[in-house]
Amino acid sequence: MADLSINLAGIESPNPFWLASAPPTNSGYQVQRAFEAGWGGAVWKTLGDPILNVTSRFAAVSFNGQKVAGFNNIELITDRPLEVNLKEIYETKKRFPNHTIIASLMVEPNQEQWHEIVKRVEDVGVDGLELNFGCPHGMAERGMGSASGQVPELVEKQTYWAKEAAKTPVIVKLTPNITDITVTAEAAVKGGADAISMINTINSLAGVDIDSWNTIPHVGGKGAHGGYCGPAVKPIALHMVGECARNPRINIPISGIGGISNWKNAVEFLLMGATGVQVCTAAMHHGFRIVEDMIEGLDHYLDEKGIASVMELVGKSAARYSDWGNLDLNYKVVAKINNDVCIHCNKCHIACEDTSHQCIDMLKDPSGTSILKVREEDCVGCNLCSIVCPVDGAIDMIEIPSGLPPMTWNEREAALGAASCESTK
Amino acid sequence: MSEYQQFLQERDQIDILLQKGFKIKHITENLSGAFVEFEKRENHDGESDNETLHITTPEARKYFSIIMIKQQTEEA
Repeated sequence: MADLSINLAGIESPNPFWLASAPPTNSGYQVQRAFEAGWGGAVWKTLGDPILNVTSRFAAVSFNGQKVAGFNNIELITDRPLEVNLKEIYETKKRFPNHTIIASLMVEPNQEQWHEIVKRVEDVGVDGLELNFGCPHGMAERGMGSASGQVPELVEKQTYWAKEAAKTPVIVKLTPNITDITVTAEAAVKGGADAISMINTINSLAGVDIDSWNTIPHVGGKGAHGGYCGPAVKPIALHMVGECARNPRINIPISGIGGISNWKNAVEFLLMGATGVQVCTAAMHHGFRIVEDMIEGLDHYLDEKGIASVMELVGKSAARYSDWGNLDLNYKVVAKINNDVCIHCNKCHIACEDTSHQCIDMLKDPSGTSILKVREEDCVGCNLCSIVCPVDGAIDMIEIPSGLPPMTWNEREAALGAASCESTK
Repeated sequence: MSEYQQFLQERDQIDILLQKGFKIKHITENLSGAFVEFEKRENHDGESDNETLHITTPEARKYFSIIMIKQQTEEA
């Protein structure tokens, strides 16, 4: 069995699977159940001045029979007094000393308030702190959460205040509701953060009921934007992790969050630069025991790859994530249809003919059987046919030599510049 | 004519000029594609011969770019 333990900025955990700060980590009862199931760590539901919630709070987006493809919530931070949470954190840590407990914190942008909550939380033995600069609803209207997290100066200042008082590592949780997350990530680094975590939820409205005309969810006929998470946001989160991981000025560990539903998703985040992952929606959908499959799957994957420690995966794909201008314009793939596997649904032909580059012909072979054939010279290798194909193995995307040396857009622009060329671009 | 056939035609036009001793002198890119000016320097009176190709296909734009990079490398 491979070593699944991680060390994120000095925070040790028996495995990389943590529950994210959210409804699943609201109480000691829940976190202890999660640890019994196998979760390596939990980020306690955000502590701060106890709030008032509304009903209803959640909504999900289903797509083509896939329940909870996306998840939206308008629940706020903890509604319980700090003392109650601290007592349960203490008891949980005492019972599970080898599991990781991180306290998520949110207070007003004020030095004294940050100092006070940091000291009180650390007194009960947490392993680290996560500053919630990402919650996009409710708290943001009060100047906290993403309202703070969207202003780099406030991220830096509040991180600095937390670090002034902190003895344990400080993780800064970033909002994706910003044009460039590396800007606020850099601000966290400047403030002295030991790690960053991303992403918090994305501003969203799950839907509108076309019969009642109410928003989904609604609270007595009125709605407000919530935070979107779940599998639908994974590509956005993965991109943001990658952007931070490959930025040389962001040289601190990353805790990956956003739509992670299984061990494969976790591996993707680790490869893109996350040292561990945090999960919420998948646990809310399927329960805490999904972590059993996550641990087993990751363990088998590492064994099959001959990798001794999960930490060896961290960031292995980050260097392969670059800017479009660094991609080889002369690299070429084309579609190849395997007619012995193809079920002749013609979806590839329709997709290509209607919305791509019209390079899949419907033909008959010498025996009169219908076949589909790609005209390679006209194929731009867009992948659309293989994406819409319902049968695995019916369409392969294969590399073919372009006959030209590699050339990136940046190299081309440099050459054009050197040749004093004109461009209206 | 398919875009591929159009590319082959434009590539041939480029190749013919190169075979005649022309070199890429100037490129103008705009909404209409690329206008590639070729120049062939004459030996005796110092005058040069100029030709311009209007390149419309993306593959041909890649093609002349590679030639231009190669030309710059050789001249360096």
